[in-house]
Amino acid sequence: MIRNYFKIAWRNLKKNKVYSFINIFGLSVGMTACFLIFSYVNFELSYDNFHLKKDRIFRVVADIKTPTETINGKGPSWAVPPHITEFPEVAAAVRVLSDIILFKKDNLTFNETESLWADADFFTVFDYKLLKGNPLTVLKEPFSIVLSETSAKKYFGDNDPIGQTILITDDAFPSTVTGIMEDIPVNSQIQGDVVISMTTITKKFAEGVNDQWGNYGPFAYLLLKPDTNAKHLESKFPAFLEKWSGKEMNKSQMFPTLLLEPLKDVYLKSDRGGFVTGNIKNVYVFSIVAMLILLIACMNFINLTTARSSERAKEVGIRKVVGAAKSQLARQFIGESVLICLIAFLLTLVVTSLLLPSFNQLAGKTISQGIFEIPLYILLLFLAATGIGLLAGIYPALILSSFKPTTVLKGRFTTGAKGNFLRKGLVISQFTISIALIIGTIVVYSQMSYMNNRDLGFKKDQILVLDTNSDKNRDVLKQATSSLSNIKNASLSSSVPGTGNLIAYSEIENIKGDLQVANLDLYFVDFDYISLFNIQLAAGRPFSREFKTDTTQAMVLNEAAVKMFGYSSPEQAIGKRFKQWGHEGKIIGVIKDFHFQSLKKPIKPLSMRINPDRGDYLSINISTSNLASTMAAVENQWEKIIPNKPFSYYFLDEFFGRQYKSEEQFGKLFLNFALLAIFLSCLGLLGLASYTTIQRTKEIGIRKIMGASVSSILNLLSRDFLKLVAISFFVATPVSWFFMQEWLMDFAYRTTVSWWVFLAAGVMAMLIALITVGFQAIKVAISNPVDALRTE
Amino acid sequence: MLLQIKDLFKWVNSGGNRIFLLNDIELTVNEGDFISIMGPSGSGKTTLLNVIGMLDDFNEGEYSFLHEPVHKLKEKHRANLYKEYIGFVFQSYHLIDELTVYENIETPLLYKNYKSSERKSLVADMLDRFNIVGKKDLFPTQLSGGQQQIVGIARALISNPKLILADEPTGNLNSKQGEEIMNLFKQLNDEGVTIIQVTHSEKNATYGSRIINLLDGRIINTV
Repeated sequence: MIRNYFKIAWRNLKKNKVYSFINIFGLSVGMTACFLIFSYVNFELSYDNFHLKKDRIFRVVADIKTPTETINGKGPSWAVPPHITEFPEVAAAVRVLSDIILFKKDNLTFNETESLWADADFFTVFDYKLLKGNPLTVLKEPFSIVLSETSAKKYFGDNDPIGQTILITDDAFPSTVTGIMEDIPVNSQIQGDVVISMTTITKKFAEGVNDQWGNYGPFAYLLLKPDTNAKHLESKFPAFLEKWSGKEMNKSQMFPTLLLEPLKDVYLKSDRGGFVTGNIKNVYVFSIVAMLILLIACMNFINLTTARSSERAKEVGIRKVVGAAKSQLARQFIGESVLICLIAFLLTLVVTSLLLPSFNQLAGKTISQGIFEIPLYILLLFLAATGIGLLAGIYPALILSSFKPTTVLKGRFTTGAKGNFLRKGLVISQFTISIALIIGTIVVYSQMSYMNNRDLGFKKDQILVLDTNSDKNRDVLKQATSSLSNIKNASLSSSVPGTGNLIAYSEIENIKGDLQVANLDLYFVDFDYISLFNIQLAAGRPFSREFKTDTTQAMVLNEAAVKMFGYSSPEQAIGKRFKQWGHEGKIIGVIKDFHFQSLKKPIKPLSMRINPDRGDYLSINISTSNLASTMAAVENQWEKIIPNKPFSYYFLDEFFGRQYKSEEQFGKLFLNFALLAIFLSCLGLLGLASYTTIQRTKEIGIRKIMGASVSSILNLLSRDFLKLVAISFFVATPVSWFFMQEWLMDFAYRTTVSWWVFLAAGVMAMLIALITVGFQAIKVAISNPVDALRTE
Repeated sequence: MLLQIKDLFKWVNSGGNRIFLLNDIELTVNEGDFISIMGPSGSGKTTLLNVIGMLDDFNEGEYSFLHEPVHKLKEKHRANLYKEYIGFVFQSYHLIDELTVYENIETPLLYKNYKSSERKSLVADMLDRFNIVGKKDLFPTQLSGGQQQIVGIARALISNPKLILADEPTGNLNSKQGEEIMNLFKQLNDEGVTIIQVTHSEKNATYGSRIINLLDGRIINTV
């Protein structure tokens, strides 16, 4: 029996090649998309799952209340871990700090951009596997280094690195390799190529940092003892902080509340940053999109199968007459749909393995090396394919198996209006999804272009930024580069837009004449900074070498800061007093607001002061003519002046744009899936259109004999489908408007979603549908009517 | 007595009027009968055949088949009854195009859950009996009309029915093929199979033992 079913299903597939192709291809495209997204989502959810003690590991963070705002940040993470072990619930505390450290071994010099400083318990709390070395001791002594397999190979080739010496930092401290770890897996929130013992900092570089309660730097992780209630422990923290840092808090006016974030939530759900961060929203969005695409593919299947039912009607009739029961027939048709799904499943495996490399690229990380890496996924997909076959097969099977043999065997048989209604509903759903996705794509892209084109309030083009990493010769480098031809000027500063910046406890005279406490974002700059970045002045004057006092007693604020202190015009703030980090003086100028952070964030109050000791970044204003030779000249200078560090540079516009990398990726993925959705919907429409035209062949023949023109027949055949697309448009518009408004809420500066976006999406869908249907319709419309009637 | 029909009416409502498809039918069929139903187009021949074959309902009257009251049976029972005892032969053969000759003949057995070995021997017997062994792997479209109808009859006979209902079995065939088919029916009837056929042809009607003439759903005479 099964063999018989299989045979007839297979012969049917071979007989109707176009139909089989649309069905199998459509389904496998849907399943491929779904499978890839599933891998992506699963990968995102897999972060940090490999830590055996993951349920007991928490990250300590803090909401810090300042006089002006509440900051969601890290908290006093230098001092908390050494002291928090006084709670019996805490089994271990580990600080992890990422850094860029200069490594030197013989004639090999590398700026290790993924360096970590970590406390001794790093390898016992987390499950990063040590290939060599004792996890209890590798990070105990100062100047101990654990290398990843890859970096060990880089420095030592095939030699045993254990006990060997590497010189670290600008000052070339000799350090010993104590361990080799497996490369940290991609799905780890902590990323690093080398790990250096934290005692190097706490005992050698910055003694006393363990007691600096106002110093925020590393990420702090706790391992709690089994069966500890984290919430209960959290409630003991205020007293703990009061005991150790009550004085410090009052002095700095920063009042942290310590919170415990479960390790499992940090990567996807925390908004406090990290080594690498994910986004739970993306996970949700893409899961939904995957489901929708699969749904579209299944709808195609149901649509085509029921539309074709008239062709199978005769067979149903015969089988019933020779003795088939309804249930037996239903089983046959469900079996057929399962067969189609399983063929699609095989095709999916092939397509997925071909697409995986480009999908990894699209996602920006290696989600999977190959589909056979995890056999469980294949099994799941197989089960899913079978399930889809069952589900998608049930409705057509019920329709087909309920035909009455006396009706269908008479020969004149057309599918009833009942199936028609369902098919219309399905087409509407498909196009609703497609149009909504198109609208979403347009909105994402217009927000991207809005962010890229908005005037940021500073010059971002033709600016080359060198990261000197606080090299002591940076002033010399500045002098040398600014005297090069083709270079207009150069400036040293602690931050450039997009890098992040210091935040300083400050007291500024407000409109009432009181010194108002605030936590101000702070840029340390030099005299050339404001002019180099072409930042506009709103009042007063910029820093100037002509005023001796500017080096220590002058501050420039932005308009947002001036507003915060109650001044209604920038001019009012000029000459007011400030105190900040041990310096006092007067406000000398007010600059217009510029976007020193991404457009996702509103412009915060900002202060600028001169400080020659804090100039990490050398910004150089270069002209684009002869760019290559200018770059070569700059690099040449670098190698002369800072020979022990690799040349590290970027262009400011690119760098600032990198903040939108995740949005860009989101947009790209969205675009791809929107295209896929519309493609699948059209595939279904094509199949449906070809069957309705076949069904209406006789009607069209008669109409043509009566004198109908090609265009009127085209109109007749397309009208019904276009009506459906129009309905979809009206359903999709409010839904996508709502969701895209939500999405845009993440951006402080956002484009407005104007009516043309919806119109464009609607017109696009309409045109695509028209082309799809019209192709079929024209074929019939230009055919000879006599042929059509003869077949009846 | 194989079946008996008493006071049977079947009608449809069209525009407020009741149109009778079958009007006061009285019919008794005994085992071994060979009955021909004749009449002009639209006189209700096929409808009567479908009612006898239990593929179609009727509105009023009694119908007993092997002493089972068909009009009182539930759909499922009725289906079991015709699957067991009735074989159908159609004017346009109604073979499944996607199946071979062998598989077409085998199909009814599949639905009766015969074992594979039983099916093989039964189908082989049938192929032998109708001299179509050499064509068993061909598809219906590769056969002539007459050959297709032979396959259709073989299929109807495979489950060893008591009654064969044939709706214009020679309607799509030329005279020579038609004659072959009719001789085949005659032979089957001689072997004891009851046959009811619908036909337009006076000549074909003479193969039967009885002719029922229908007009507008009414039996006007029986010869």
